[in-house]
Amino acid sequence: MRIETSRFGNVDVDEARTIRFTKGLLGFPGYTDFVLLEAGDESSFWWLQSTQKPDLAFVVTDPGLFVPTYKVPVREPQLTDLGAGSPDEVQVFVIVNKRENMLTGNLQGPLVVSVHQRLGEQLVLSDRRFTTRVPLMEIGSKMHAASA
Amino acid sequence: MLVLSRQRDETIMIGDEVEITIVDIRGDKVRLGIAAPREIQVHRKEVYEAIRRENADAARVQVDDLPAGDRPLQAHHRSRPGDAQGVRRRPVKP
Repeated sequence: MRIETSRFGNVDVDEARTIRFTKGLLGFPGYTDFVLLEAGDESSFWWLQSTQKPDLAFVVTDPGLFVPTYKVPVREPQLTDLGAGSPDEVQVFVIVNKRENMLTGNLQGPLVVSVHQRLGEQLVLSDRRFTTRVPLMEIGSKMHAASA
Repeated sequence: MLVLSRQRDETIMIGDEVEITIVDIRGDKVRLGIAAPREIQVHRKEVYEAIRRENADAARVQVDDLPAGDRPLQAHHRSRPGDAQGVRRRPVKP
């Protein structure tokens, strides 16, 4: 199917790749359907693009790439809601933000997605060790290198 | 806002399916027990609000905000490793 996006123009995506967040994301309750788009070659980041609102997209990443100690507890009822048989069938992403020269991850509100059913949910973790703005990567130096 | 007084072990009902019980009171701290159907999420408000605000802020990130190596060179979207079918992009016909 062809979707309109404000960042990438019109993009053809396989409808079967849609990820449905039945409750939407916090603050964006009306938008349930998203697809993952790659950010570029060898990238650690993807774009979670809404198929329903062209300008709604989030950079997401696998938090395990940056914070190896990070573990997201997923309870039985949540596994059931996601149509997942076990935690192995669930992938965790975090939404990435940019503040000054730092990319940060929202590890307090991770996204969990069942890889087979492609259902997702944004969790609210009560573990205060992880915040909404965990530093992941500084980008200033890399950008200078690119423009040299 | 409805303001009620309850003592330890007393319960409030919200609608037909949500119950809040005062489990313990100790000094300034109240321990609440919440019984609600699975589809109703229960969170400490300040955490919920922090995530909601962070989502709204993160939704403003644009392609140029990512490091140069992470920007699509020609917006081609390949499969993720392990995916049977990926995202394919055809040039938009003029």
